[in-house]
Parts: sequence; structure tokens; C-alpha cells
Amino acid sequence: MSQRKETAMNEQRRQILQMLAEGKITADEAERLIDALERARPESPPASESHPRRRPKYLRVVVNAADHPGAEPTRINIRVPLQLLRAGVRLTSLIPPPALARVNAELDRSGVPIDLTELKPQHLEELIDQLGDVIVDVDEPDTKVQVFCE
Amino acid sequence: MIPQLVTVRHRRRNGRSLRLYVPVVPILLVLSPLLLLGVLAGLVACLVFRVSPTGALRGTGRLLWALPGTRIEIEQGRTAVLVSVR
Repeated sequence: MSQRKETAMNEQRRQILQMLAEGKITADEAERLIDALERARPESPPASESHPRRRPKYLRVVVNAADHPGAEPTRINIRVPLQLLRAGVRLTSLIPPPALARVNAELDRSGVPIDLTELKPQHLEELIDQLGDVIVDVDEPDTKVQVFCE
Repeated sequence: MIPQLVTVRHRRRNGRSLRLYVPVVPILLVLSPLLLLGVLAGLVACLVFRVSPTGALRGTGRLLWALPGTRIEIEQGRTAVLVSVR
């Protein structure tokens, strides 16, 4: 919606409130008028819908590091399709319950009290879907690590 | 789409490099008897470990289908390894 239309509607709302304050209309009438004004306002789509964001397809991991000054630099560039991660997490749903119980016990013993049986495939799906917003940027004098989706 | 071509490049310290182009479908066809044995062994393993064989097959298929686009590049000084799946 244009800025001009928005301003006109605000002006009309202000006039209704002023008439209410002056006692020219009752509170019920003011409410009905404001409702009518709201209905007249066309639904403006959110900004994200008007310009849909491109869904990321790949997870990229880029590492540029040198173990110590003067050493040969190491460069790692990994691109993994997010679909592959999705397929991988779906496979985890096939892990038999006894194995999950053993993993849980080991995690608990290591001080990570996570119950993997509570992790459902749909949760993992959501996790992967939200990965698109993840950006990890580590910048040190000798090392630079970037994890992002593209 | 299953992977069509896997490219492996290896550059050694002395500068010599090895490039390997692996056409996946012909290789799978050639190795199909072994693949069949592998699938049978996998099915037996599924039954032994009480994993749904259909789920395992479907999961493996999805994994295979999602592989194209994967690229792994590791370079250290003059040595480098590249694996690319298309």
C-alpha cells in the first residue's frame, strides 16, 4: 500500500477519535467506524512475500588456516547439499531403540544429558530448514573459518 | 537424479597430479552382481538389527539422490585433494 493511503487512513481514524472525544458519536459507533475503516484497508502482503527469499541449497564450510606462522597454509572448502543433510537425518530415525538407549547412556555419562529418543524426524527437518539462517564466522590472525548456507 | 560423475583430483607434493573421472552409472552396471550381494547382506543386517529394510533402502536411495552438488576440497601447501560429485 502506498504511503499516501496509509496517511489518509490514519487521518480518518484520528477524526473518528476526535468525534468520540467531542461526544458527537458513541463509543459503539466509533468502534463500528474503525472496524469499517479496517475492512476497507486492503491486506498488504508482508515484505518477505513480495520478495521471496531464495531457499539456500548448500551448506558451505570454508577454512583458511596455518598451523603456525610460516607453515604451509591449509585451505578447506566443503560444499554439501542441504538435501543430503536432510536425507542423513532421516536415516537417524532408523537407529534401533536399544542402540539409542546405549547412546543416551554414554551421552549422560559424558555430561551431555540429551535424550535422543525425544528427537523426532520432524524436529530434525525443522532444524535443517532453519540452517539457512546460520552463519558462523571465526576470524583469528592465522585462521579463518566460515560456515554458511548459499 | 543419482550422481552421474565423480571427479577425484589429487595433487602431490612434487607437483604431479592425478585426475580420476568416475562415471557412476556404467560402474554401477559393471559392479551390479557385487551390488546385489551387498544389498542382500544389507537386508540380512537390517533383519538382524531389527531395522526396517524398506526404510533403510529408502533412506539410502535418498542419500544417493542428494549427493550431486557435493564438493570437498582440501589443500595444504602443494598437496591438494578434490572430490566433486555431479
